[in-house]
Amino acid sequence: MAGETLIKPDLQFVKRIVAAGGDTAKKCYQCDTCDVVCNLSPDERPFPRKEMLMAQWGLKDVLKDPDIWLCHQCSDCTVHCPRGARPGEVLGVLRQMCIEQYAFPSILARLVGDIKFLPALIAMPVVLLLGWLYVLGMIGLKVKEHVGGAVNTFAHKGIAIPAGEKIVFSKLFPTLWAVDLIFVPAFFFAVGVLGLGVMRYWKDLNEANPWKVKLQGGCAGNLIAVVKDILWHNRFRECTTTFGRALNHLLLVFGFIFLGIVTSWGFLREWVIHFDSPYTLLWPPDPLKWLALLGTGLLIFGIYRIYQSRLENAETAGYGSYFDWQLIYLIAAVGLTGALSWFFRLLGSPTLAYPTYFLHLVTIFCLFFFAPYTKIAHLVYRTTAMLYARMSDRGF
Amino acid sequence: MEERKYAAYLCKGCGIGEVVKMADLSKVATREAKIPLVKEHDCLCSPEGLEMIRQDIANEGVNCLLIAACSPRVKFEEFDFPGCIIERAGLRELVAWTQDPEHKETQPLAEDYIRMYGAKIKKTDLPEPFKHEEEQSKIILVIGGGAAGLSAALFAARNNYEVILVEKEAQLGGYGAKLHRATPTSYPYTQLQEPPVLAKIKEVEAEPGVRVLLNSQVTKMEGQPGLLDVTISSNGNEESIRIGSVVMAAGWKPYDATKLEKFSYGASPDIITSLEMEEMAKKGRIARPSDGKVPNTVAFVLCAGQRDPEHLPYCSDICCASSLKQALYVRQANPDAAAMVLYKDIRIPGQLELFYKEAQSDPGVMLTKAEVTGVTPAPGGVLRIAAKDTLLGENVVFEADMVVLATGMVPVTAEDPVLQLEYRQGPGLPDLDLFNGFADSNFICFPYETRRTGIYAAGGVRQAMGMAMAMDDGVGAALKAIQAIDHDLAGMALHPRAWDETFPDPIMQRCTQCKRCTEECPFGAIDEDEKGTPFFRINRCRRCGTCMGACPERIINFKDFSVDIIGSMLKSLDVPTEDDIEDDEEVPMRILGLVCENDAYPALDAVALHKLNLNPQVRFLPLRCMGSFNLVWVSDAFSRGVDGMILLGCKYGDDYQCHFAKGSELCAYRMTKLSETLDKLGLESDRVQLYQVAISDFDKLPKIIDDFVKRVEEVGPNPFKGM
Repeated sequence: MAGETLIKPDLQFVKRIVAAGGDTAKKCYQCDTCDVVCNLSPDERPFPRKEMLMAQWGLKDVLKDPDIWLCHQCSDCTVHCPRGARPGEVLGVLRQMCIEQYAFPSILARLVGDIKFLPALIAMPVVLLLGWLYVLGMIGLKVKEHVGGAVNTFAHKGIAIPAGEKIVFSKLFPTLWAVDLIFVPAFFFAVGVLGLGVMRYWKDLNEANPWKVKLQGGCAGNLIAVVKDILWHNRFRECTTTFGRALNHLLLVFGFIFLGIVTSWGFLREWVIHFDSPYTLLWPPDPLKWLALLGTGLLIFGIYRIYQSRLENAETAGYGSYFDWQLIYLIAAVGLTGALSWFFRLLGSPTLAYPTYFLHLVTIFCLFFFAPYTKIAHLVYRTTAMLYARMSDRGF
Repeated sequence: MEERKYAAYLCKGCGIGEVVKMADLSKVATREAKIPLVKEHDCLCSPEGLEMIRQDIANEGVNCLLIAACSPRVKFEEFDFPGCIIERAGLRELVAWTQDPEHKETQPLAEDYIRMYGAKIKKTDLPEPFKHEEEQSKIILVIGGGAAGLSAALFAARNNYEVILVEKEAQLGGYGAKLHRATPTSYPYTQLQEPPVLAKIKEVEAEPGVRVLLNSQVTKMEGQPGLLDVTISSNGNEESIRIGSVVMAAGWKPYDATKLEKFSYGASPDIITSLEMEEMAKKGRIARPSDGKVPNTVAFVLCAGQRDPEHLPYCSDICCASSLKQALYVRQANPDAAAMVLYKDIRIPGQLELFYKEAQSDPGVMLTKAEVTGVTPAPGGVLRIAAKDTLLGENVVFEADMVVLATGMVPVTAEDPVLQLEYRQGPGLPDLDLFNGFADSNFICFPYETRRTGIYAAGGVRQAMGMAMAMDDGVGAALKAIQAIDHDLAGMALHPRAWDETFPDPIMQRCTQCKRCTEECPFGAIDEDEKGTPFFRINRCRRCGTCMGACPERIINFKDFSVDIIGSMLKSLDVPTEDDIEDDEEVPMRILGLVCENDAYPALDAVALHKLNLNPQVRFLPLRCMGSFNLVWVSDAFSRGVDGMILLGCKYGDDYQCHFAKGSELCAYRMTKLSETLDKLGLESDRVQLYQVAISDFDKLPKIIDDFVKRVEEVGPNPFKGM
């Protein structure tokens, strides 16, 4: 018969989904309640029922289905599912596997997604940065005198804290060539891997073409519309059960945007205008400083609210997987170490300030370098999928 | 009864006194119904009221009581006076609660009911239970040694009834014993278990009250329950045993898979049926019959012929659960195997839902809705399964190493009468075609009943069902079989008149051997000799009175129900004519309602409970069944001046609701003859109509009746009125 599709069930893929936290997928009995209660699901070929079935049969094409990214996991479906199949969480797991599938090298994604390898992943930037400090001569096995001259309190432990009345972080890692030399490549590595992933993903989407439609309109114009939608979380805010999450996430996103502006601005000043820090807070008030504080505040508050609402909704919407919590803790760590570094600096305590700053750099490195493998990669995959969905007229 | 002393008791309670003029009613009872003792009471069912009646019985010798109070369907324990004839006119329901107290027709209506029941009590006799000359057997015959039969035998034996269990195969257990594992029957309903029938076999074998006959079949049954002479052929020897009642648990056979051409059964050894899968599992190795390899993918085609008008139009109940069970066999045999379950709908009865959840949670058990359009052997030893309308796509193909066809259940009664009855109406159960060959019935709420009294169906022969349900079924049927024996001994009827001690008592001298009764009896209770003279097998009779309605000679009577009794009731009505009415008023209509007492009469009571209005020109008269409707009543009523007759019977046809299976249908058949007669008399056939009413139709009844009255009013008054 023409147009027949050969269905090849893949038990190993099912087992991977189950192992990654999608064990409830097998409970689905295809009643379609999820499709009906979902506010985001389009009328034609709605989700997540079909994704649940594909997951049950281990059909890998489910990862090429952009619909898994149209879900914001508001958990309306999970709450109403009569079988406890938790479609929202299953889609979350599928998204994780999608990130894993398109990340290069995907083995790194597997490591990131597995809690067993967490210590190793944290150890990597620590070792890298410690090694860098050693190269810089800031750290040694013996007591050492330093640029400032005075012997450091930690010196006997082999770590030197830069001396001086004023705490200047760049004394630990000179911004221009020490920090940026690590972080700029890390950033571009992430951008490169994500870009590669997105390209492969876009190609697969077009090949699989799940809805058998011709894409409408140009990429650029549609991308602007999608980004606008994302910036205001229009679709995210259509969720019912965990409506609050959209707001929390929005706070976090704007926190990141502000901090991103600050970082680029700072980068510009350093590298182009050669206007070095510090940026003054009170007089003359430096808008950059204020924006940085606002961004930090939003980030910390946003991630705190996300953390809290996850606990509050755990019973109805599910607790979430390791993959989810990994990112929450990472962002929290970035925000807290950043804020504490500033606080300790103002407090005038080098013994607290410098190690905290060190930790802050470790967390930032994790955030940047592992971005293609952690949940933060959703930023690009979701945007891509939404763009594809928009261009194939999926109702938004 | 040597001397009949009549008394009428008129109750004023429950609003009757406010609607009816009791003094006038008393006068009617005394003067017209000729009842010497008439008493009124404010609340007849109160201890004082009942005591008053008891005093009259003791002191005055009253033994025929007309109680004009509430419906005979209520307070029957209060108004039970042993040794007395009781007639009850339901004034509360038919007058007080359904009539307008101000309407001038309300009082005449109540008075007519007194006249009717006054006429009836004169003709009613106390029943004397039928006594057989021969001693009745208390042995229960169980046909079939599967789950249902074993359970029935065990239950009956443990209740001290001797049981003979006839099994045609060489061992007990039926298909249940052929299973490798069974679906769970107890909490938590998640684990496969040993087939529960195996334990039942041991219990039955240890039970001294059960005599098991293997390799045996019933070859003949003649007589009637209690006196049923059954010939059993065992290993070539014939034996005749007198039996009390029968549990028919003859079971089922799997549908012939070779008829399923689109599934190519037989084209490849790797396309097998569920039963073959079960045998394979029982041997301990799941392997492809073609090359002996353990399969990596097995497809289960559910509804292999079931719910398909070309094969079996019904659901076989067990296949979904048993296919899931077999999917687990596949998974246990090979942890890397995928078992694909392709279903029309998953139908998991009862607690097996929990098993469904459990089986589904296995990562290798994959399910989708699918309409399998074909199975074909493909190159490379695989089988291609084409399906449409699946959840995975509109047209999809699966590839599997093995295909299991979940074929359905076919009751053995579809091909074999099993019972081998020597009855006038044939060897098997009638109506099997209504139920796709299953020995089922439309006896609402009475699942084990058949149209052969004293023979009760259980298990797979009755409906497609699993082992656990078949065992419950066996117990239910055994209970009915026990009841049949006990009631036959007491001379009482069985369902649905299980209290009734009356029986049809024909005046044989006047029989013309027309055979209508022997043909029409819904229960085949009447046999006939070579000349066609009927003889009644009372223990097969359900007392519906269909024979009474059929008999053109009107020779069949019950002690409290006869053509004459009903005739007298309708002749007792007061039919006003123009002379009785003042000039400017219209003569009111007098319409008779003959009402089936199983459904339509309770519906009238429900009309009353809901305080709906009934047309005051209609007088209702309960019949045992519409089947007892005798055409002579029509001429009786019309010669009396009645303007119309409305008959309220049960729904008939394939989905009948008649408690006696055929009664309302036979009544409808007689009505077709009636219109010719009426036309000849010059009466319009619209004057007599039969309506099919369910017990739940009470809300529609007032309108049905009003519309009928309106139609009769259009036709005009009975021209014979006043003649």
